Amino acid sequence: MKVPSVGESISEVTVSQWMKNDGDHVEIDEVICELESDKATFEVSAEIEGILKLKVGAGDTVEIGGLLCVIEASSEIKEAIVPDVKSEKLTGGAVKTIQMLVPTVGESINEVTISNWAKASGDLVVLDEVIAEIESDKATFELTAEATGKLEILAADGTTLEIGGLICQIAVTDEVQPSTAVIPSESDHATTPAVSKGYAVGHAPPAATKILAEKGISAAAVQGTGVGGRITKEDAMNAQLQKVESSPKEQEKSIINDPVQSADQGERSEQRQKMSPLRKTVAKRLVSVKNETAMLTTFNEVNMQPIMELRKKYKESFKAKYEVGLGFMSFFTKACCVALQDWPAVNAKIDGDEIIYSNFCDVSIAVSAPKGLVVPVIRNAETLSFEQIEREVVRLATKARENKLSIPEMTGGTFTITNGGIFGSMLSTPIINAPQSAILGMHNIVQRPVVEDGEIVVRPIMYVALSYDHRIIDGRESVSFLVRLKELLEDPSRLLLGV
Amino acid sequence: MDYQVIVIGSGPGGYVAAIRCAQLGFKTAIIEKYNSLGGTCLNVGCIPSKALLDSSEHFHNATHTFKTHGIDISVPKVNFKQMIARKSDVVSQNTDGIQYLMKKNKIDVFNGLASFLDPHTVQIVGKETQSITGEKIIIATGSKPATLPFIKVDKKRVITSTEALELKEVPTHLVIIGGGVIGLELGSVYARLGAKVSVVEFLDGIIPNMDKTMSKELQKSLKGIGFDFYLSHKVTGVAVKGKEVTVTAENKTSEILSLKGDYCLVSIGRKAHTEGLGLDKIGVVLDDRGRVAVDQHLKTNLDHIWAIGDVIKGAMLAHKAEEEGVFVAEQMVGQQPHIHYNLIPGVVYTWPEVASVGATEAELIQEKRPIKIGKFPYKALGRARASMDIEGLVKIIADASTDEILGIHIIGARAADMIAAGVTAMEFRASAEDVARMSHAHPTYMEAVKEACLSATENRPIHM
Repeated sequence: MKVPSVGESISEVTVSQWMKNDGDHVEIDEVICELESDKATFEVSAEIEGILKLKVGAGDTVEIGGLLCVIEASSEIKEAIVPDVKSEKLTGGAVKTIQMLVPTVGESINEVTISNWAKASGDLVVLDEVIAEIESDKATFELTAEATGKLEILAADGTTLEIGGLICQIAVTDEVQPSTAVIPSESDHATTPAVSKGYAVGHAPPAATKILAEKGISAAAVQGTGVGGRITKEDAMNAQLQKVESSPKEQEKSIINDPVQSADQGERSEQRQKMSPLRKTVAKRLVSVKNETAMLTTFNEVNMQPIMELRKKYKESFKAKYEVGLGFMSFFTKACCVALQDWPAVNAKIDGDEIIYSNFCDVSIAVSAPKGLVVPVIRNAETLSFEQIEREVVRLATKARENKLSIPEMTGGTFTITNGGIFGSMLSTPIINAPQSAILGMHNIVQRPVVEDGEIVVRPIMYVALSYDHRIIDGRESVSFLVRLKELLEDPSRLLLGV
Repeated sequence: MDYQVIVIGSGPGGYVAAIRCAQLGFKTAIIEKYNSLGGTCLNVGCIPSKALLDSSEHFHNATHTFKTHGIDISVPKVNFKQMIARKSDVVSQNTDGIQYLMKKNKIDVFNGLASFLDPHTVQIVGKETQSITGEKIIIATGSKPATLPFIKVDKKRVITSTEALELKEVPTHLVIIGGGVIGLELGSVYARLGAKVSVVEFLDGIIPNMDKTMSKELQKSLKGIGFDFYLSHKVTGVAVKGKEVTVTAENKTSEILSLKGDYCLVSIGRKAHTEGLGLDKIGVVLDDRGRVAVDQHLKTNLDHIWAIGDVIKGAMLAHKAEEEGVFVAEQMVGQQPHIHYNLIPGVVYTWPEVASVGATEAELIQEKRPIKIGKFPYKALGRARASMDIEGLVKIIADASTDEILGIHIIGARAADMIAAGVTAMEFRASAEDVARMSHAHPTYMEAVKEACLSATENRPIHM
């Protein structure tokens, strides 16, 4: 169910409250939520009977045509929801097309990229089935079918769309006709944001349709050069070339740089791949941090023996009690929280002419996800127990690897821990996770000869690095922070006593 | 195997499929049970009816409009025998043309009744009985006129469209059962030649599949040339007594209607023709209406057997069958053509002609699709006035917000030819304004389309 058009000049509404909860059973025409525009408040009724799945929360602002919720028809005859809210039962043979638009996914997100279609044009899709993955610069979302029917993809893999942009349409099949659902409002057709992009964008007239079908290229993958974005026959004929350019596998076939020399020099192919939005964002941010902060790094080494012994001793009982392993992360996170509270500048950030000191420690942990680096946040880490931290780390890391982190889970953070050690890094200078001011780099643990009480002994040593923004953190603070951290880690009982 | 492709039936679906198969390099055979190729369309359908429609239209003009045009002639008389003879000439020229096309494309033609012996073997019973085998087979056996159980079509007084094209005389009073395309076209022929024509239709309007506006306008026009309409009437009996046919019918309030005429044309539709094909023997499945069941690729339940045209679901139109013939042939070589069934135009060759493509107003209203409608009457058209063909109008239905054309309905002179432009526009998903902003030659009937589009876009026609 989408936000119905409510008036000429109204482009967005705020969900003032949900009368029903996620998972509730709703009856047809039952009021399920209240929307508020800048002019009026109005109610939205269920278009069909079924199980309600909220897609936006109370207080969220949604564009007209944006997805509000999905109602999973509970009866045997699955009822597809038609954007045309006034829709009545269709006659036999008539086919209704549902246009699926990019849902609103987060406050500051204006555009998303279709990262992966799970279905192809022409496939039969079932209501709520995952049909594609959408990537924003912050997270990946799954797009589920809004109706049961035949899918027509209008935005190919890699296409970047604005919120409200047309992704695909589903031709509702005869067996799954929409039921009577009368809601007095204008139809979506009149106001769907896709209109501004043009209904004909990507439309392939007959010859082009045939050529594309034979090449196995979705019309959505082709940039139409015809009037209104239509795909011309020429576009279709050239489509294969574009496909080669965009498909990594085929690219490997090579772009020969120098045909004269290529003969006996073996493989000389290159691969060109479009940067994902995530990668682009990461790139942009990292460079801007380097340019806009006064970043430098201080190092120290930590004798890990006490922690390792402690871990060895309590590993089994910890696991038995909490059903989660006792790792190093909980020690480092706890130690960081203590040190951050001792040296609040390390936990601070610059906002214009002011410095914001946070009285809590939201520790971001860098996780290597399939699509790139993500930094989910452990909230109020200073209040959490070892067990809670370990559990949170596992939860966030798992979601990160499955591309399921939500934006709130990645927003904020006052300090970051990154562990290059898991890849074998001995020493590194991490880059600050802006707008934070410091980041701790953990590294691998290596048996090294060290001198203790005048004797050379072998100890498991980890080098630690703290990159910090010298604009607000002085050397005294950063070095003291790291020394404090070292103290806490080398004598974990200090964590217990807070000394 | 003797052939790579065998096509059963040589109507516009079958012969087109055969030619396309041959073009694509298949060794192809075509089987036709009648002596001449071309099927219903060429022999007893589209072509002969158009021949008679044109002849009768000339007669109508000679008797009705020549005087105004300033042509004085002595009272014209119908030479019906000659009219039928000319029609037959037209038919044979066309069917010979198909024969030539078969030869040109090296397609082997077999005359005789085809039936499957096994999934790859077709027996042909003609002058002699023979069997041929094929890797792939296309069923294009078409349809034949349907009747009602209680009506006995004697083919003399109670006739179908086939006999209506071969009458020996112009009826005095032709009673037509069914107000669809076929009945109205043939009724027009005889009405123009002087017959009184009565149409009994079960539904509340003629040409029920077309837009309501078209139905109403056409009814008005046909009344003008001597048609009587009995709508919402259910035929209850047809009795023949000598040269007199009595058709009885009753309306919704059970009032009895009795029409006496000298001929009764039964034109209530057509049914798929699969008799004698032996489909049950090889297990090809029919649907609930006796048509060959096909999937979206027009393949039957057997992987190598396809079916096209009237024998399968969909509109019974020659041009639909032709598209399907090409569609199937091309799929056989792995191509992937598409047919937009909602963009297959429908035409009624009465005068004024009726032609349409896309959705009707009623369909869109039922879908609750917000629409806007632009109409433009022929009356306001210079070209129409010049030729005295001022009956008719163009109706454009467009999406209320995107302005995309969703339906084009034309009644008037040359509508049948004009609709092609509408199909083009809709295949490219043109908006009403797109068409309105394209130059249309003046003076032409097509200007009415442009004006109707202007009207649909912003309600700003120039000439009204």
